[in-house]
Amino acid sequence: MPLINMPEFAGPLLDDFAARGAQRIDTPVIQPAAPFLDMAGEDLRRRIFLTESETGESLCLRPEFTIPVCLRHIETVTGTPRRYCYLGEVFRQRRDGDNEFYQAGIEDLGETDIAAADARAVTDALQVLANLLPGRRLSVRLGDQGVFEAVVRALGLPSGWQKRLIQSFGNTAQLKQLLQRLASPQAVAGLSAETAALVRQDEAALIDHIDRTMQETGYSTNASRSPREIAARLKEKLALAETRLDGTALLLLSEFLSLELPLAEAPAALAGFGDAAGLSLAPALKGFEQRVEALADLGMDLSGVTYRAAFGRPLDYYTGLVFEVTRANEDAVLAGGGRFDRLLTLLGAREDIPAVGFSLWLDRIEQARAR
Amino acid sequence: MTVTIALPSKGRMKEEAAAIFERAGLPIVAVGNDRSYRGRVEGAEHIEIAFLSASEIARELGAGSVDFGVTGEDLIREGLSDADTRVEIVAPLGFGRADVVVAVPEIWLDVDTMADLGDVASDFRSRHGRRLQIATKYWRLTQQHFSSQHGIQLYRIVESLGATEGAPAAGQADIIVDITSTGSTLKANHLKILSDGVILKSQACLVRARKPAHDADPRVAAIVTAVRAAL
Repeated sequence: MPLINMPEFAGPLLDDFAARGAQRIDTPVIQPAAPFLDMAGEDLRRRIFLTESETGESLCLRPEFTIPVCLRHIETVTGTPRRYCYLGEVFRQRRDGDNEFYQAGIEDLGETDIAAADARAVTDALQVLANLLPGRRLSVRLGDQGVFEAVVRALGLPSGWQKRLIQSFGNTAQLKQLLQRLASPQAVAGLSAETAALVRQDEAALIDHIDRTMQETGYSTNASRSPREIAARLKEKLALAETRLDGTALLLLSEFLSLELPLAEAPAALAGFGDAAGLSLAPALKGFEQRVEALADLGMDLSGVTYRAAFGRPLDYYTGLVFEVTRANEDAVLAGGGRFDRLLTLLGAREDIPAVGFSLWLDRIEQARAR
Repeated sequence: MTVTIALPSKGRMKEEAAAIFERAGLPIVAVGNDRSYRGRVEGAEHIEIAFLSASEIARELGAGSVDFGVTGEDLIREGLSDADTRVEIVAPLGFGRADVVVAVPEIWLDVDTMADLGDVASDFRSRHGRRLQIATKYWRLTQQHFSSQHGIQLYRIVESLGATEGAPAAGQADIIVDITSTGSTLKANHLKILSDGVILKSQACLVRARKPAHDADPRVAAIVTAVRAAL
């Protein structure tokens, strides 16, 4: 590794990580591509450097550290909780900026005190940055997938609609589209009269009909979706198409999504929102409040932290906290983090392992230090 | 300096392109014998013809190594990133029509739109232990349609270079993105096109590589005018 292109503050940064009880872990630069594409989706393909092994395995240059760190953890079967840190190069195809740059970060795997672990990740990210950027004002933006999920659940929508909304959390355009569909439901198109009759009358007959058709068309041996699954979703689809979210509920949802306020005021504001709306958000709000308390306990100055209700990441392994740190009044994200409780099981861990972490963009920090 | 036009090197595309250039007053003759891959235009010494495969034509246009080319819009949009900044589609030529479409098994009675597919894709992993798989040779068009336009992220592309319509029944993939002109191969393989699943209505086009030198070149403008007039 060419030491010379390493950020000059790499040494002190690693010392800082060590002082925070994190154990350094290294991962190969060349990684199997499948886990990244599986987790983040095919869209990532354009943004990473892909290659192939002689045997045809799809490989890529490490585009980030969280997945490799988690894979390494699963491989080594070391037990939890573990606090890992990393510092190294990542590789991404970027239109502007270098294609290779350094990232560093901490991942907490298996810490079961959720509020405390969340607070520690945010605090560590901010303190590490403050040490690297003395005298600069930093601001933190924080979101919580859990609170959004609680609001959606409390609105009493069918579970299919809940799933759709929750899955698009963080993707504003997509969410807006869904809300429009909810406001003005449209009849299901593309059903033959026979199917329409079957689905309304007799589910067993419908399954039978699908099964027979599959066999006649020679499709059944390799069919991924079973007749039962197709029939069940067809039924659900018809029910969902008739769902209409009344004006009040839609208004509540958009009111919630527009919330943006200092974190210290957020617990009271969310509780007030829930009361006024007649929505019971208790467990999610309790977790939220505990996190705010834990942050205060760690000595965090909450005045620099903003809660934005619509802030999330539309990937299915993020589960709760998301946050990012910038310099005050600037857009460039210097640190980003969040909770990804589902990632380790998706990657093959046998038990649930709660996880939270953050990543620092060392190239942007270097630029910020120069100013 | 000569103006280079790349034309399809064989089959109906070659004949239809030649017919249009003939009508445009730019009759094409092969240099040497009929199978030669170089040609010229009778009476226009400044024009050179290169006979290439349709996908190579898209690539050469993107690289700017030819000035004009006749090829399918699907190959342009699939082969080139930022196609519109690199090439200009001068004129659709009215032949080689085919649509790039999203097709799913006919028996997926519950899937009629991309939104339906989004629902199925989001659940797929928890139900089947893997992401929804799409067989296609159109990586870029598929990603644009699924990710950018319909917000569907969770799927995997399985590369398929031929007989893509057979992939779902063979278990290689769940659905396909492929080109179809009449839809009969899809039907024969019990696949249906989603109601909003037409990604691109493609046909053969005269395409120009965007080069600064073209702006002041009357010969370039003349070719554009002549071909447009012949349609």
